Amino acid sequence: MNDWQRKSPLDWETYVNKMVKVAAIEKHEYEGWVLTVDPVSASVVLATFLENEKVSISVVLGHAVQEVEILKEGDDEMKQRLSCIFAPEESKAYSPEEEEKRKNALKTWLETNHIPVTEQGESGRTLCVAGVLTIDPPYGPEECSSSNEIILSRVQGLIQGYLEKQQ
Amino acid sequence: ATMPVPVPVGVLRLPRGPDGCSRGFSPTSPRFQALLGGDAVAAQGARAALRQRYLRGLAAARGRPTRFCLRAGVQVDAVFGAADVEAVAFQVDALRTPLGVQAAALLRCADVLAYSFLL
Repeated sequence: MNDWQRKSPLDWETYVNKMVKVAAIEKHEYEGWVLTVDPVSASVVLATFLENEKVSISVVLGHAVQEVEILKEGDDEMKQRLSCIFAPEESKAYSPEEEEKRKNALKTWLETNHIPVTEQGESGRTLCVAGVLTIDPPYGPEECSSSNEIILSRVQGLIQGYLEKQQ
Repeated sequence: ATMPVPVPVGVLRLPRGPDGCSRGFSPTSPRFQALLGGDAVAAQGARAALRQRYLRGLAAARGRPTRFCLRAGVQVDAVFGAADVEAVAFQVDALRTPLGVQAAALLRCADVLAYSFLL
Protein backbone atom coordinates (compact mmCIF):
# COMPACT_ATOMS: atom_id res chain seq x y z
CA MET A 1 0.00 0.00 0.00
CA ASN A 2 1.43 3.40 -0.98
CA ASP A 3 0.96 6.84 0.60
CA TRP A 4 -1.83 7.74 -1.80
CA GLN A 5 -3.81 4.59 -0.90
CA ARG A 6 -3.38 5.35 2.81
CA LYS A 7 -5.10 8.74 2.64
CA SER A 8 -8.49 9.24 4.26
CA PRO A 9 -11.70 9.78 2.24
CA LEU A 10 -11.79 13.41 3.39
CA ASP A 11 -8.29 13.86 1.98
CA TRP A 12 -9.23 12.31 -1.38
CA GLU A 13 -12.34 14.50 -1.49
CA THR A 14 -10.15 17.61 -1.53
CA TYR A 15 -8.88 16.60 -4.99
CA VAL A 16 -12.35 16.35 -6.57
CA ASN A 17 -13.20 19.07 -9.11
CA LYS A 18 -9.53 20.07 -9.39
CA MET A 19 -7.23 19.88 -12.41
CA VAL A 20 -4.36 17.62 -11.39
CA LYS A 21 -1.23 15.95 -12.71
CA VAL A 22 -0.91 12.33 -11.61
CA ALA A 23 2.59 10.85 -11.60
CA ALA A 24 2.33 7.08 -11.88
CA ILE A 25 4.87 4.27 -11.75
CA GLU A 26 6.97 3.47 -14.85
CA LYS A 27 7.19 7.23 -15.55
CA HIS A 28 3.58 7.61 -16.74
CA GLU A 29 1.86 10.94 -16.28
CA TYR A 30 -1.83 11.78 -16.53
CA GLU A 31 -3.51 15.18 -16.44
CA GLY A 32 -7.19 15.97 -16.09
CA TRP A 33 -10.10 17.08 -13.90
CA VAL A 34 -10.68 14.78 -10.93
CA LEU A 35 -14.18 13.31 -11.02
CA THR A 36 -13.67 11.05 -8.02
CA VAL A 37 -11.26 8.82 -6.13
CA ASP A 38 -12.51 5.29 -5.49
CA PRO A 39 -12.24 4.70 -1.72
CA VAL A 40 -11.79 0.95 -2.24
CA SER A 41 -8.86 1.01 -4.67
CA ALA A 42 -7.80 4.69 -4.37
CA SER A 43 -8.07 4.88 -8.18
CA VAL A 44 -8.18 8.43 -9.55
CA VAL A 45 -10.83 9.10 -12.21
CA LEU A 46 -9.84 11.97 -14.53
CA ALA A 47 -11.84 13.76 -17.23
CA THR A 48 -10.31 15.57 -20.21
CA PHE A 49 -12.49 17.63 -22.53
CA LEU A 50 -11.64 17.11 -26.22
CA GLU A 51 -12.33 19.55 -29.09
CA ASN A 52 -15.14 17.51 -30.63
CA GLU A 53 -17.44 17.76 -27.55
CA LYS A 54 -16.27 14.33 -26.43
CA VAL A 55 -14.89 13.61 -22.98
CA SER A 56 -11.97 11.28 -22.38
CA ILE A 57 -12.08 9.44 -19.06
CA SER A 58 -8.85 8.03 -17.61
CA VAL A 59 -8.68 5.94 -14.48
CA VAL A 60 -5.29 5.59 -12.78
CA LEU A 61 -5.27 2.59 -10.46
CA GLY A 62 -4.47 3.46 -6.84
CA HIS A 63 -1.56 1.05 -6.58
CA ALA A 64 0.14 2.81 -9.51
CA VAL A 65 -0.19 6.36 -8.17
CA GLN A 66 3.05 7.96 -6.96
CA GLU A 67 2.06 11.58 -6.61
CA VAL A 68 -0.95 13.80 -7.32
CA GLU A 69 -0.21 17.50 -7.91
CA ILE A 70 -3.05 20.02 -7.91
CA LEU A 71 -2.70 22.40 -10.86
CA LYS A 72 -5.86 24.47 -10.47
CA GLU A 73 -9.32 24.67 -8.90
CA GLY A 74 -12.48 24.20 -10.93
CA ASP A 75 -14.95 27.10 -10.96
CA ASP A 76 -18.70 26.59 -10.40
CA GLU A 77 -19.33 26.09 -14.12
CA MET A 78 -16.69 23.36 -14.27
CA LYS A 79 -18.05 21.67 -11.14
CA GLN A 80 -21.52 21.60 -12.72
CA ARG A 81 -20.08 20.22 -15.97
CA LEU A 82 -18.13 17.49 -14.14
CA SER A 83 -21.08 16.42 -11.99
CA CYS A 84 -23.15 15.81 -15.14
CA ILE A 85 -20.61 13.58 -16.89
CA PHE A 86 -21.79 10.28 -15.44
CA ALA A 87 -25.44 11.27 -15.27
CA PRO A 88 -27.80 8.79 -16.98
CA GLU A 89 -28.26 9.39 -20.75
CA GLU A 90 -31.95 10.27 -20.61
CA SER A 91 -31.47 13.35 -18.46
CA LYS A 92 -29.81 15.05 -21.41
CA ALA A 93 -33.19 15.02 -23.19
CA TYR A 94 -34.76 17.39 -20.67
CA SER A 95 -33.96 21.06 -20.21
CA PRO A 96 -33.21 22.25 -16.66
CA GLU A 97 -36.69 23.85 -16.50
CA GLU A 98 -38.44 20.68 -17.64
CA GLU A 99 -36.38 18.65 -15.20
CA GLU A 100 -37.34 20.99 -12.35
CA LYS A 101 -41.03 20.67 -13.33
CA ARG A 102 -40.84 16.87 -13.37
CA LYS A 103 -39.12 16.87 -10.00
CA ASN A 104 -41.70 19.17 -8.39
CA ALA A 105 -44.64 17.27 -9.92
CA LEU A 106 -43.32 13.95 -8.59
CA LYS A 107 -42.50 15.47 -5.19
CA THR A 108 -46.01 16.91 -4.88
CA TRP A 109 -47.60 13.60 -5.91
CA LEU A 110 -45.54 11.71 -3.32
CA GLU A 111 -46.46 14.19 -0.59
CA THR A 112 -50.15 13.98 -1.54
CA ASN A 113 -49.87 10.23 -1.03
CA HIS A 114 -48.33 10.77 2.43
CA ILE A 115 -44.86 9.58 1.40
CA PRO A 116 -42.12 11.64 3.09
CA VAL A 117 -39.82 13.19 0.49
CA THR A 118 -37.03 15.76 0.69
CA GLU A 119 -34.60 17.32 -1.76
CA GLN A 120 -30.88 16.76 -1.42
CA GLY A 121 -27.56 16.71 -3.17
CA GLU A 122 -25.75 19.45 -5.09
CA SER A 123 -28.37 21.92 -6.33
CA GLY A 124 -31.17 19.84 -4.79
CA ARG A 125 -31.71 17.80 -7.93
CA THR A 126 -32.03 14.51 -6.08
CA LEU A 127 -35.21 13.46 -4.26
CA CYS A 128 -34.90 11.42 -1.06
CA VAL A 129 -37.85 9.24 -0.11
CA ALA A 130 -38.27 8.30 3.57
CA GLY A 131 -34.54 8.77 4.05
CA VAL A 132 -33.74 5.41 2.40
CA LEU A 133 -34.29 5.82 -1.33
CA THR A 134 -33.01 8.45 -3.74
CA ILE A 135 -34.38 9.48 -7.12
CA ASP A 136 -32.12 11.25 -9.62
CA PRO A 137 -33.20 13.21 -12.69
CA PRO A 138 -35.22 12.54 -14.85
CA TYR A 139 -37.17 10.92 -11.96
CA GLY A 140 -38.23 7.63 -13.55
CA PRO A 141 -38.20 4.11 -12.06
CA GLU A 142 -34.69 3.54 -13.46
CA GLU A 143 -33.30 6.48 -11.52
CA CYS A 144 -34.28 5.11 -8.10
CA SER A 145 -31.57 3.77 -5.78
CA SER A 146 -31.85 2.20 -2.37
CA SER A 147 -30.09 -0.41 -0.28
CA ASN A 148 -33.50 -1.93 0.56
CA GLU A 149 -34.78 -4.07 -2.34
CA ILE A 150 -38.35 -4.21 -1.09
CA ILE A 151 -38.73 -0.46 -0.75
CA LEU A 152 -36.97 -0.03 -4.09
CA SER A 153 -39.37 -2.27 -5.99
CA ARG A 154 -42.44 -0.74 -4.27
CA VAL A 155 -41.43 2.82 -5.07
CA GLN A 156 -40.45 1.88 -8.64
CA GLY A 157 -43.93 0.42 -9.07
CA LEU A 158 -45.55 3.55 -7.66
CA ILE A 159 -43.56 5.83 -9.96
CA GLN A 160 -44.27 3.61 -12.96
CA GLY A 161 -48.01 3.88 -12.24
CA TYR A 162 -47.74 7.63 -11.70
CA LEU A 163 -45.93 8.17 -15.00
CA GLU A 164 -48.43 6.00 -16.89
CA LYS A 165 -51.31 8.05 -15.54
CA GLN A 166 -49.53 11.21 -16.74
CA GLN A 167 -49.58 10.06 -20.38
CA ALA B 1 -55.32 -36.98 5.05
CA THR B 2 -54.42 -33.60 6.58
CA MET B 3 -50.88 -32.11 6.43
CA PRO B 4 -48.92 -32.54 9.63
CA VAL B 5 -48.33 -29.24 11.43
CA PRO B 6 -44.63 -28.39 11.15
CA VAL B 7 -42.81 -28.42 14.48
CA PRO B 8 -41.43 -24.94 15.18
CA VAL B 9 -37.62 -24.82 15.17
CA GLY B 10 -36.08 -23.51 18.35
CA VAL B 11 -34.41 -20.12 17.96
CA LEU B 12 -30.84 -20.04 19.21
CA ARG B 13 -30.06 -16.65 20.69
CA LEU B 14 -26.31 -16.00 20.81
CA PRO B 15 -24.79 -13.80 23.51
CA ARG B 16 -24.04 -10.19 22.59
CA GLY B 17 -20.65 -9.56 20.97
CA PRO B 18 -17.96 -7.39 22.61
CA ASP B 19 -19.11 -4.29 20.68
CA GLY B 20 -22.51 -4.46 22.34
CA CYS B 21 -24.42 -4.78 19.07
CA SER B 22 -24.98 -8.49 18.46
CA ARG B 23 -25.71 -7.88 14.77
CA GLY B 24 -21.96 -7.52 14.24
CA PHE B 25 -20.98 -4.36 12.41
CA SER B 26 -21.99 -1.19 14.19
CA PRO B 27 -21.05 2.20 12.73
CA THR B 28 -21.05 3.70 16.22
CA SER B 29 -18.79 1.06 17.76
CA PRO B 30 -15.46 2.28 19.23
CA ARG B 31 -13.61 -0.03 16.83
CA PHE B 32 -15.14 1.52 13.71
CA GLN B 33 -14.71 5.02 15.12
CA ALA B 34 -11.01 4.30 15.66
CA LEU B 35 -10.70 2.96 12.10
CA LEU B 36 -12.10 6.12 10.55
CA GLY B 37 -10.41 8.54 12.93
CA GLY B 38 -12.09 11.35 14.81
CA ASP B 39 -14.13 12.52 11.83
CA ALA B 40 -16.04 9.25 11.49
CA VAL B 41 -19.36 10.60 10.23
CA ALA B 42 -17.88 13.10 7.80
CA ALA B 43 -15.32 10.57 6.55
CA GLN B 44 -18.01 7.97 5.93
CA GLY B 45 -20.15 10.51 4.09
CA ALA B 46 -17.20 11.46 1.88
CA ARG B 47 -16.42 7.78 1.30
CA ALA B 48 -19.99 7.06 0.20
CA ALA B 49 -20.15 10.03 -2.16
CA LEU B 50 -16.78 9.18 -3.74
CA ARG B 51 -17.73 5.53 -4.16
CA GLN B 52 -21.09 6.36 -5.72
CA ARG B 53 -19.46 8.55 -8.34
CA TYR B 54 -16.92 5.82 -9.05
CA LEU B 55 -19.66 3.20 -9.51
CA ARG B 56 -21.50 5.51 -11.90
CA GLY B 57 -18.23 5.87 -13.77
CA LEU B 58 -17.94 2.08 -14.08
CA ALA B 59 -21.52 1.95 -15.38
CA ALA B 60 -20.63 4.58 -17.98
CA ALA B 61 -17.59 2.56 -19.08
CA ARG B 62 -19.62 -0.58 -19.75
CA GLY B 63 -19.67 -1.56 -23.42
CA ARG B 64 -17.18 1.12 -24.48
CA PRO B 65 -13.90 0.48 -26.28
CA THR B 66 -11.19 0.94 -23.63
CA ARG B 67 -7.42 1.15 -23.74
CA PHE B 68 -5.65 -0.55 -20.85
CA CYS B 69 -2.09 0.44 -19.88
CA LEU B 70 -0.41 -2.59 -18.40
CA ARG B 71 3.09 -2.91 -16.95
CA ALA B 72 6.30 -2.69 -19.01
CA GLY B 73 4.73 -0.37 -21.57
CA VAL B 74 2.19 -2.94 -22.78
CA GLN B 75 -1.10 -1.49 -24.03
CA VAL B 76 -4.18 -3.50 -25.00
CA ASP B 77 -7.57 -2.52 -26.36
CA ALA B 78 -10.80 -4.18 -25.29
CA VAL B 79 -14.46 -3.51 -24.62
CA PHE B 80 -15.08 -2.73 -20.94
CA GLY B 81 -17.26 -5.38 -19.27
CA ALA B 82 -17.26 -5.13 -15.51
CA ALA B 83 -15.21 -4.60 -12.36
CA ASP B 84 -15.54 -6.58 -9.16
CA VAL B 85 -16.24 -5.21 -5.68
CA GLU B 86 -12.76 -5.62 -4.22
CA ALA B 87 -10.84 -4.24 -7.23
CA VAL B 88 -9.17 -7.57 -7.99
CA ALA B 89 -9.92 -7.83 -11.71
CA PHE B 90 -11.65 -6.32 -14.73
CA GLN B 91 -13.76 -8.37 -17.09
CA VAL B 92 -13.43 -7.33 -20.71
CA ASP B 93 -14.82 -8.44 -24.06
CA ALA B 94 -13.01 -8.58 -27.42
CA LEU B 95 -9.51 -8.24 -25.95
CA ARG B 96 -7.02 -7.61 -28.76
CA THR B 97 -3.76 -9.45 -28.13
CA PRO B 98 -0.79 -10.22 -30.42
CA LEU B 99 -2.18 -13.77 -30.55
CA GLY B 100 -5.61 -12.68 -31.72
CA VAL B 101 -8.87 -11.42 -30.22
CA GLN B 102 -10.06 -13.08 -27.01
CA ALA B 103 -13.86 -13.03 -26.80
CA ALA B 104 -13.82 -12.56 -23.03
CA ALA B 105 -10.99 -12.14 -20.55
CA LEU B 106 -10.06 -11.05 -17.05
CA LEU B 107 -7.36 -8.45 -16.47
CA ARG B 108 -5.87 -8.41 -12.98
CA CYS B 109 -6.05 -4.96 -11.36
CA ALA B 110 -2.49 -5.44 -10.10
CA ASP B 111 -1.35 -5.68 -13.74
CA VAL B 112 -3.28 -2.60 -14.88
CA LEU B 113 -1.73 0.82 -14.31
CA ALA B 114 -4.48 2.87 -15.97
CA TYR B 115 -7.33 2.61 -18.48
CA SER B 116 -9.20 5.14 -20.54
CA PHE B 117 -12.30 5.43 -22.72
CA LEU B 118 -14.27 8.09 -24.57
CA LEU B 119 -17.73 9.28 -23.56
